[in-house]
Amino acid sequence: MNQVDPPDLALWTTMRHLVPLWRAQWRLAALGLSCALAFTALSLLIPILIQRTIDDAIDGGDRSVLVPYLTAIAVVAVVRFGVNFTRRYATARIGIRVEARLRSMLYDAYLRYPRAFYDRHATGEVISRATNDIYPVRYFIGWGVVQAIQSLLMLIGAGIVLTVVNPRLALTAAIAMPPIAILTYFFAHRVFPISREVQRKKGHLTEASDEAVVGIEMVQAFGREDDVRNRFGDRAESVRHETMRQASIEARFLPGLVFLPTLGIAAVLLIGGREAIAGNLTIGEFTLFVTLLLQLVWPLEALGWIINLGQRATAAASRSFAWLESIEPLRERRPPLALPEGPLPVRLEDVRFRYGTGSEVLRGIDLEVEPGEIVAVCGPTGSGKTSLLNLLPRFYDPTFGHARLGGVDVRDVSLAELRKAVAIVTQKPVLFSVPLRDNLLAARPDADWSEVLDACEAAGVAEFVGDLPDGYDTLIGERGVNLSGGQRQRVALARALIAGSRVLVLDDPMSAVDTETERHLVENLRPAVAGRTVLISGQRLSTVLVADRAVVLRDGVIVERGLPDELIRAGGPFAELFGEEALVA
Amino acid sequence: MSAPRVGLSRLWRYTVGRRGRLTIVLILAAISAAAPVAGWHIVGDAIDNGIRARDDGRLVADVVAYVGIGVVAWLLGTATWLMLAGIGQQMVLDLRRGLFEHLTSLSLRYFSEQKAGWIISRLTSDVDALSDVLNQGLTTLVVNTLTLVAAIGGLFLLDWRLGLVALLVLPPGILVTRWFQRRSHTAFQDVRTRIAAVTAQLAESVAGMAVVQAFSREQAFQSEFEQLNDDNRRSNTYAQKLSSVFFPAIELLGVIAQVAVLYAGARMIDGDALEIGTLIAAVGLLSLVFQPLQELSELYGQVQAASAAMEKISTVFDAERDIVDRPGAEDVGRLDGRIELDQVVFAYGKEPVIHGLELDIPAGGCIALVGESGGGKSTTAKLVARFYDPRSGAVRVDGNDLRDVRLRSYRRQLGVVLQDPFLFSGTIAENIRFGRPSATEDEILAAARAIGVDRVAARFEDGLDHVVREGGAGLSAGERQLISIARALVADPRILILDEATSNIDRPTEILIEQAFDTLLRGRTSIIIAHRLTTVRRADEILVLERGRITQRGTYDALIATDGPFRRLATSLQGAAVRRVA
Repeated sequence: MNQVDPPDLALWTTMRHLVPLWRAQWRLAALGLSCALAFTALSLLIPILIQRTIDDAIDGGDRSVLVPYLTAIAVVAVVRFGVNFTRRYATARIGIRVEARLRSMLYDAYLRYPRAFYDRHATGEVISRATNDIYPVRYFIGWGVVQAIQSLLMLIGAGIVLTVVNPRLALTAAIAMPPIAILTYFFAHRVFPISREVQRKKGHLTEASDEAVVGIEMVQAFGREDDVRNRFGDRAESVRHETMRQASIEARFLPGLVFLPTLGIAAVLLIGGREAIAGNLTIGEFTLFVTLLLQLVWPLEALGWIINLGQRATAAASRSFAWLESIEPLRERRPPLALPEGPLPVRLEDVRFRYGTGSEVLRGIDLEVEPGEIVAVCGPTGSGKTSLLNLLPRFYDPTFGHARLGGVDVRDVSLAELRKAVAIVTQKPVLFSVPLRDNLLAARPDADWSEVLDACEAAGVAEFVGDLPDGYDTLIGERGVNLSGGQRQRVALARALIAGSRVLVLDDPMSAVDTETERHLVENLRPAVAGRTVLISGQRLSTVLVADRAVVLRDGVIVERGLPDELIRAGGPFAELFGEEALVA
Repeated sequence: MSAPRVGLSRLWRYTVGRRGRLTIVLILAAISAAAPVAGWHIVGDAIDNGIRARDDGRLVADVVAYVGIGVVAWLLGTATWLMLAGIGQQMVLDLRRGLFEHLTSLSLRYFSEQKAGWIISRLTSDVDALSDVLNQGLTTLVVNTLTLVAAIGGLFLLDWRLGLVALLVLPPGILVTRWFQRRSHTAFQDVRTRIAAVTAQLAESVAGMAVVQAFSREQAFQSEFEQLNDDNRRSNTYAQKLSSVFFPAIELLGVIAQVAVLYAGARMIDGDALEIGTLIAAVGLLSLVFQPLQELSELYGQVQAASAAMEKISTVFDAERDIVDRPGAEDVGRLDGRIELDQVVFAYGKEPVIHGLELDIPAGGCIALVGESGGGKSTTAKLVARFYDPRSGAVRVDGNDLRDVRLRSYRRQLGVVLQDPFLFSGTIAENIRFGRPSATEDEILAAARAIGVDRVAARFEDGLDHVVREGGAGLSAGERQLISIARALVADPRILILDEATSNIDRPTEILIEQAFDTLLRGRTSIIIAHRLTTVRRADEILVLERGRITQRGTYDALIATDGPFRRLATSLQGAAVRRVA
């Protein structure tokens, strides 16, 4: 059995996955980094030029160099504008591209994940993984990485400039550095686990909102609004509590990152001031020291932000990559075997099946269905009908035994070919928010329109299509027309008929249609599926009686099989299932 | 940057009761924001009166003042951070609770119009976006904005003439800002629309993945998605391009201002109207004006996102509660359970689906509604539960118009069993208890036994304490239904609505449920909607609903003996069976 809920990846593994994404944007990254380097150099050059202006032109008294110096500053500033634009634009694009790429990778994987994945994860979680969760990754990879490198460059650059101007004073100014490094390390160390906890608590909150919204009718019907509000409120409160814990750590560390450089400046003021009084340092150089040290405050602060962001980004990425790495799409045999031409018999051989680690829901099923035959799979709820039917299009694979089409195990055929050969109508029909026409054509877009009309006639779609505002072109779904449950089932049935598949799997396809329509469908179904291999399940005798043969499941085992009429007379499990309905008849 | 504020202004109301604390924080933040400004004043003084005057004492005094201000700023910074986070998170909590409360009081009409995923995003990711801004962003925003103001003020205080010179860059600054505001507003709006399209497509394919895969539509969906994803990338890129022009441009203007001040300063020193330390302090203060802008620029995207989130949240708040207690509505007390529908007309949209329905169910009576789908059966039941109010006419319980009684007191005496029962995450027992939280263990157990849930639970190791996941995965439709019936039983309602409660259930399970109904319905008023004859037989009266009107009514025996709509329904149900078995 495939693993569908893997644990988050470790930091190192996550990084290993992030690096290729970043490297794929190496042109932009190289551009961004070289601009960051240039930007740092120019940002250091401006204070140096100002120092020169002060020493040579203003304090020195040679006014003739004033305008050339000031012009040079303005020119450097204009160049820096261009460099800065390029740097920002390049790094932003890296982030945006990585975001798009990661989202596309996830979506691609979603399309291939097995049903078991969707049983385990709520829709909201799956969506949010490909939207909101990606944003920290985008900002970290785009802005964060380049800004971090730039911050470091700025530290190094300022250090070099100051050392060149006055090594002793530069050393004095550096007294603040070791405590800054220690503080940063402790901050990162403390904030990581809490930040994870915040995410976990948010997950609980999402769960509470999910339930209340989806189950709102029950909540209101029983007047239980206060209970769900309390439950939600408690969880919202624990999110607040955790966030505050995080904030209190940030409050203790981050303002310190601004304060420590102040100590460096104070040292420069005192020692540099005395040097200046002694004439060993010019006023301009003194100013340069103060200016550059102040200019370091923002890069240091940015480092704090980036650590925070990087933590959120890796947490989000570790979840996404855990899915991408550990969840296997349905395995396909390579090279695949081909299905035989012509009609396809269905054969289940000693099939056993369990969901994940649960108990067995199918316990040794043997069943053969010949082409042109309709077999009804009956049984009480929970007996394994849907599980059995879901094996044919490989929504799940048997844990033991074989499901064969035309003698070939379904696992040996390519998924594309298998699913072309098997059309399914699921218990809860799903239609897409596109026109009715496109919904009908979903399985075979090139089907003849006359075939579509025939199928719609047989499936009872033709009956209500005239009531729709735009007929077959009516937009279905929330932005269009909301069809009733029965209507949706009929569209799903027509869609499956149009697919033209050799095997048809109908899982309780008429549960929501009214009895009048059901009679119509039952009458039309037989000619519409002539020559195909059909399995149908149902709760009503009227549905089941469309079949040539019936099998009765109980607790994952076939307990009775035969012709429906005979089964009713036999008074066994089948008669027990439908007895009273038959009696009424 | 006025655009984001429009969306965020709604947050202001959550400061009620915290404005005192907020004022204090703002004062503290203003003081800490003034610290770097004071720092430059001190540096200027150290140059002029310390270094140039060769006064070591003055220099030391300046350094001590500098460190002192730094310490104050540090302590104030910590305090502001904590207090702002505290206020911000409490606002978030209030917002979240308020939003949830508002949501849960909206009528079913709202929930049928909006997708569940859409609503949930408002409660989670949108509030999170606001939380992010209020948490880290607010401190940065407040402190940097104040620093900006303080730096400008400090510049004028230092030397008003240099201040005026620096103002030279104001007109181009305003022009650039206005250009950016206009362009970025539409650009970010476009980004929002495009990401919404991506999310919608994602949501639809995830919800319908079984069909996508079953019909091998993966490639078509993938290429459609790639298109949307790429559109989103493009519009994001454009928005970022605008920001990439704007903020460096402001930075450029900052340097131009410094150049202008240096030039004017040099001229003034010539005229002995200025000391060099003051000039240096002025240049330093100008960098203090423009440095906060850089930090604010990093925040800009976050504020934009938060403002978009607030706009979406507001649409939920703007949804009107259409089912509300009238002023002066009173508790109903324990109901007898007589239900009357008096000339009830109802429409979801323009066209009425219920046309002047008349119905009178005596206390303890049982009626069944039958008819083809779309005839108005469920709508009638929902009117009785007051999920909707009639457009005209009235629904009365014990003679009281439902709109005149307190909704909660009424609904607490109502039991509803739907075709597709919803289970909450928690144990089976907890799901039963949902009907009445005050129920004792014994009552839960008794209800479970009476309905046959104990038989279901026996399948699991933990029995009734078996944990079901949300939606009830791992349980069959019939098993979920049994639990939801036990839930209705434990609620001990006066009025019961069974809406297709046995449609998804096999006959043997249904027989069990029918037996349970005997217990459940005794002494209670009930409305049964079903398309199985066996289920409706027990009703005192059967009503056939067709296109929103009652076309036939009477007892089962009377109706089946008459050639009319009911008999047609009954034979159509049995028709197939008769033909095959005969």
